[in-house]
Amino acid sequence: MATLDVTASAPAPVPATVTPKAPRRERAPGSRLRRRNTLIGWTFILPNFIGFATLTLVPVVILLYLGFTSWNAFGAATFTGTDNFERLVRDTTFHTALKNTIYFAVMHIPLTLGASLGLALLLNRKMRGMAFFRTVAFFPYITSIVAIAVVWNMLFSPEAGVINQMLMAIGIDDPPGWTTSTTWAMPAIVIVATWRDMGYYMLLFLAGLQAIPSELYEAARVDGASAVQRFRNVTLPSLRPTTFFVTVMLTIASFKIFDLILVMTNGGPGTSTLVLSQYIYRKGFVENDFGYASAIAVVLFVICLGVTVLQFLANKRRDA
Amino acid sequence: MKRSLITRSAVLAAATLALTGCSTGGSDTTAGASAVCEDSTEPVTLSLAAWGLSTSTDFQTLTDSFHLENPNITVELAEYDATDYDTQLTADLAAGSAPDLYPIKTITTFPTYQEGGQLLDVSEVTDVLGADYPGIEYYTTDGAAYAVPYRQDAWYLYYNKELFDLAGVSYPDGTWTWDEYDDVAVELTENLEAAGQQNVKGTYLHSWATALQSFATAQAGSDEAYFAADWDYMVPFYERAIALQDAGAQENYGVVTTNSLTYQGQFGTQKTAMMPMGSWYIAALLSQRESGDADVFEWGIAPAPQVDDTTLDHPVTQGNPTAIGINAAIDDAKACAAKDFLTYVSSEPAAVELAGIGLRPSYTADVVTDTVFSQEGMPTDPESRVAFSTLEAHPDAPLGSDTPALQNILKDAHSAILSGAVSPEDGIAQAMERARSEGLG
Repeated sequence: MATLDVTASAPAPVPATVTPKAPRRERAPGSRLRRRNTLIGWTFILPNFIGFATLTLVPVVILLYLGFTSWNAFGAATFTGTDNFERLVRDTTFHTALKNTIYFAVMHIPLTLGASLGLALLLNRKMRGMAFFRTVAFFPYITSIVAIAVVWNMLFSPEAGVINQMLMAIGIDDPPGWTTSTTWAMPAIVIVATWRDMGYYMLLFLAGLQAIPSELYEAARVDGASAVQRFRNVTLPSLRPTTFFVTVMLTIASFKIFDLILVMTNGGPGTSTLVLSQYIYRKGFVENDFGYASAIAVVLFVICLGVTVLQFLANKRRDA
Repeated sequence: MKRSLITRSAVLAAATLALTGCSTGGSDTTAGASAVCEDSTEPVTLSLAAWGLSTSTDFQTLTDSFHLENPNITVELAEYDATDYDTQLTADLAAGSAPDLYPIKTITTFPTYQEGGQLLDVSEVTDVLGADYPGIEYYTTDGAAYAVPYRQDAWYLYYNKELFDLAGVSYPDGTWTWDEYDDVAVELTENLEAAGQQNVKGTYLHSWATALQSFATAQAGSDEAYFAADWDYMVPFYERAIALQDAGAQENYGVVTTNSLTYQGQFGTQKTAMMPMGSWYIAALLSQRESGDADVFEWGIAPAPQVDDTTLDHPVTQGNPTAIGINAAIDDAKACAAKDFLTYVSSEPAAVELAGIGLRPSYTADVVTDTVFSQEGMPTDPESRVAFSTLEAHPDAPLGSDTPALQNILKDAHSAILSGAVSPEDGIAQAMERARSEGLG
């Protein structure tokens, strides 16, 4: 595409030295076709792009500006320079929220990755009733988050909850306080988040698994490779594009975790499960401090962007 | 985040226009509230923000009865989501598309609307009511009033007479301090257990931070201490709550939150013998008795327990005055009709209407108390009547632009302390430190 563009526009500035008409006449049908294709392409993208631009792109750009202002939603925002970011450096609640977000991501990403891959391997067989089990595994993902939170909160109830009663039945006398304990609240949320998300990522892995040519497995088997060797040397490398995609999506989703925590613990007990997006929500919508909330959102954006870029770089290096 | 930013960004220009509009609207209001409109027969249609229309009838009752008295003025309700009321209203105000009149649902958001220039000066309505009218002071800034209270909620101690009788404990008599309340809660739990009521607790503290902190601030704190984040006065209140939990006389905070317990369920189905709760629960309890969601039993209300006996004559409790304000961007032509509506909601006829559906109006008079207590299912003892009307109510928290931020910090401290993660003293100390690190206090 690049080369064609160059040749198409090249004749214009140097009309004296080359005869522009001949190549233009030759290329004209191609470039007309290309223009038409581009136009068709745009027509397909446009409905989505308009939505993206008005609902995401423009607000994000405005947010970048609001991060440098003080604004309570009424009237015009006052430009305050880097005040908000200096405040962030001193704000211990922001530090807690940042730590909690990273803590959540570090536990949630590998757990979900492992669980969804395991589930996909388990359900990637030709067996009667497999569609049923796949549907079952996908169910949590489409269940209302509020319902999930209410039910899991009951399961996690320290005294009357099923989980602790089972733990006590198997001889654990002092089971965790789960969502009522500052130590165990985050692990409890990670368990629920993993349970909810693994069905979705399982689906992606299943698609990846089914794209692996069976000849590869046959060849490995002929070579005498064991099941573990087949998994390590055939499945994993062939799944790499899927794994990469899943990891990137999962990372961004983990840093953005909001709804589940809001309804399960609302950041508590204390600030033990307060995460960045929830802090943004509180500062913005509860306290009407939209400038400061935007500054935190900018930090979250930079973190997501940074981690994703790192992942892309790492993937590129592995490809090379 | 993103969605609301669009709303806000898209309407930034409109907001500026709305603000310009408000300044003209605000200054052009010298005429008397009713005097201007009373003679006018021009039909006027006003809009009023409202929430929960399917479950409560207060707004509909007010607008209908107002229309009967003022046939040329129609007030239409614009329904908002109860939980996201302030968020949605803020967006609409910024966009210039908010209703002509809007209730201040959460009193602590009043400074945001007032300082943001979103409320019209309604002093001419409140001047007629007088300074003694309950709740006006909270909506007055620099001598000008910006909203007119129509409901004055207050917290009482609800108690189940049948469970008290079963436990052989005498009813609260309006002389209780918190220490006595604690002792009775423990005694009730023990006696009820001995009487075969294994799962009934002496008292119930709902999970809201305000259920404890607002009592502390109203009875033992001060506005200055609150804003300076000197919250040591809350420590004894937390120590008492923890002691009640440890003694098994009050449901554990963890159980309340993980099992999503409701206060209506706890008191209404007799799982607790007493419960501090707001006056709005009267209407809910009555309707739940009718629908079968609550058991039918003898109950009563007593004044909230006090810190010591110096305030027993006029018990200090918590309770928000709910007020209605006029959108600063209202058409000049409609402003006097809107003020007429505010005059009406603060009047005796409106108070009787509200009392008729079990709410506690700001306007106080014997006729109002009579109306409340004439409903079927209400207590008949004179003590409950006295408790209903004799009190001094303070809002959730002192009002200022820092209040929402301070409240959020205190909410976190509340869950940390009551879940047992930190001691009351450490939890409050950490909250104070946190407030300072956020540049508050």
